[in-house]
Amino acid sequence: MKHHPLTPLLFLLPGCIILGTFIFYPTINAIWLSFTNYNIVDKPKYVGLENYNQLFHDSMFWYSLYHTIIYLICVVPALVILPIFLAILVNRKIKGIAFFRSVYYIPVVTSIVVVGITWDWLYKDNGLLNYILQLLNLINQPIHWLTSTSTSLIAVMLVTIWKGLGYYMVIYLAGLQSIPDELYEAAEIDGANSWKKTTRIIFPLLMPSILIVSIMSSIAAMKVFEEIYVITGGGPLHSSETLVFYIFKEAFDKLNMGYASAAGVILFLITLALSVANLKILGKENNI
Amino acid sequence: MILILPDGKQINKEVNREMKFRSLFIIMLLLSMIFVSACSNSKGTQNEGANKKETIEFWTMQLKPTFTDYIQNMINDFESKNPNIKVNWVDVPASDLQQKMLSAVSSKTAPDLVNLPVGFATKLVSMDALVHINEALTKEQQDQYFAGGLKAYTTYDSKVTYGIPWYLSIEETLYNAEIFKKAGLDPNNPPKTFEEAAEVAKVIKEKTGKYGFYPSLDLSLPLRYMVMFGAPLLNEDGTKAAFNTPEGLHMFQYFTDLYKNDLIPHSIITDDERKGIDEYAAGNIAIFSTGPQYLTQIKENAPDVYKDTLTSEGITGKSGLHNMSVQGLVIPKQSKHQKAAIKLALFITNPKNEVEFSKLTTIYPSNKKAIEDPYFTQLPKNPEPTDRARITGAKELENSEVLVDFKGNTAVANELQQALFDALQKSMLGKLSPKEAVQEAESNWNKILENNK
Repeated sequence: MKHHPLTPLLFLLPGCIILGTFIFYPTINAIWLSFTNYNIVDKPKYVGLENYNQLFHDSMFWYSLYHTIIYLICVVPALVILPIFLAILVNRKIKGIAFFRSVYYIPVVTSIVVVGITWDWLYKDNGLLNYILQLLNLINQPIHWLTSTSTSLIAVMLVTIWKGLGYYMVIYLAGLQSIPDELYEAAEIDGANSWKKTTRIIFPLLMPSILIVSIMSSIAAMKVFEEIYVITGGGPLHSSETLVFYIFKEAFDKLNMGYASAAGVILFLITLALSVANLKILGKENNI
Repeated sequence: MILILPDGKQINKEVNREMKFRSLFIIMLLLSMIFVSACSNSKGTQNEGANKKETIEFWTMQLKPTFTDYIQNMINDFESKNPNIKVNWVDVPASDLQQKMLSAVSSKTAPDLVNLPVGFATKLVSMDALVHINEALTKEQQDQYFAGGLKAYTTYDSKVTYGIPWYLSIEETLYNAEIFKKAGLDPNNPPKTFEEAAEVAKVIKEKTGKYGFYPSLDLSLPLRYMVMFGAPLLNEDGTKAAFNTPEGLHMFQYFTDLYKNDLIPHSIITDDERKGIDEYAAGNIAIFSTGPQYLTQIKENAPDVYKDTLTSEGITGKSGLHNMSVQGLVIPKQSKHQKAAIKLALFITNPKNEVEFSKLTTIYPSNKKAIEDPYFTQLPKNPEPTDRARITGAKELENSEVLVDFKGNTAVANELQQALFDALQKSMLGKLSPKEAVQEAESNWNKILENNK
């Protein structure tokens, strides 16, 4: 069979064009814009590191970065560990298990606007969540989930976790299904209980999936935007504003495109560092 | 994967091919990027204008589906009278309009005629991106509109009028007579001032557990309340904040007390006017200040609440001032069909079309001739809430003005709004005392104004 040398390239071309248009070109353009004072109105003017300098002194930037880091610390472990148990739960061959797998996945594909409106109702002072908590005598007064600066971020994080569980569960499910049954049987013969099976067999063999999930959820946590936009709008008093939301406001409310691009570049660098760190820490154990 | 073959030559061939493959791949990637940037720099194809038939694009702010027929009929009428002009009508949701406009203007794909409220036009005005109506229209054409309406769309230094006023709405109070009765209050004696509203809210909360009052705090509303309370926003030449007065402090104190005493819903801090309308329609609030055009929405969505609804003049403070909102039409300078757009604008704002529009919902025409119609001066035989609202409002027109005036600082209007709102939030949430919050708002305003010089 004779292969034309250009054939693979032609297959790649459409993908390259799309990637080029929507990912590489905007990225490089944004890096360029971060060194200008572009505000859509006038032509971009080179201003060197002024944007970065201003960012360094901008308390709002650090505040939103701080929220983003809290997001990372709370959401990533939840989205790395909890779906494992969900996956174990649905990794059975009983009848109707497909139904449960779908049900857990539905939040992932539900429109964030619908999710936002629903959770907004759940979080109301006289909403279902407060009702249940009061019923169980866990609280005396309703918690002002969305209108208190101390709980607004927690409220949004819970929604992110809820929405992401199904997505990572599917990844883990695939990983689980590649673990041969003989291992479980051998472990049982050796007298291992469920917990030992989970920690000694599943966790180590699931490491590649855990690595993937860890990287993906870290990036997702750094980029979180929709939940905040729909549910709290960054409020009250910017207490649930994360980095991407801050960038959005600077770029599209205030039209400080250059400034927002600089913040975007910093976000990019942090995310890159995070991914590399993930690879080094989790990848080392498995020679990945 | 490199296949290890016994023949040394084969390995080299494989490696060579792979390296060639890689470098070609990189070249393809670079080419696609250059291809993309080249495309984005070239101007899109535009209507030459020399063709016989012109197509103009007309954007409205959230008029579908309630007014689809009205607008469509008006457009059909216009097209039949102007056979060389075709109108492409696009309706944009209110929450998207400002950004859609900005991105359209910056990507040079702006429409020809846009129904844009003053607040959304501020950035475009600072970019001088809108056609100067004072130059494009004759004096005669301009004189047919209420001075207040034109003033709303004129820059502070009175040099440029950038929009044609289309319809006006007055802030009025809607109140649920049923809840009033349940609380033992007289529905024919609604509160007229903020103080009275607070007292009414207290009674309603005690007797019915519902919230009496929903003073929305989004957009420029806090600034409006400030003016109503009798504190000016800016000094004479618009260079410094002027609301750090006893009246300004009183306004902060007022809202803080309402919030602390749970007389207004907590969600008021994060929700917007739309949510307030929903709460009112759900029968959870007794008093709601808004433009009477929303009555139509309440009529559709909550007929029970609608039939219990009475209207009164807008609640105001020490100043006795009422706010008028003006919706108008602007023409981006980029438009290649400015003459046709102006024709359409004048057609839309002629007396006949304006009166017809006002018959569909409680808004007021911007055209002086239109207000003479008996529709605005006489109550019909069996008046409905909307009828009462209309007559009340028409009387208020004289005492109404656009209360929030940024005095030449329109470029930083959003920042000023946010700064005042942030300070008010801090006071309401108890993070600062009202006094400290007013001072913080003042110093932030001065910083913003200083940077804007």
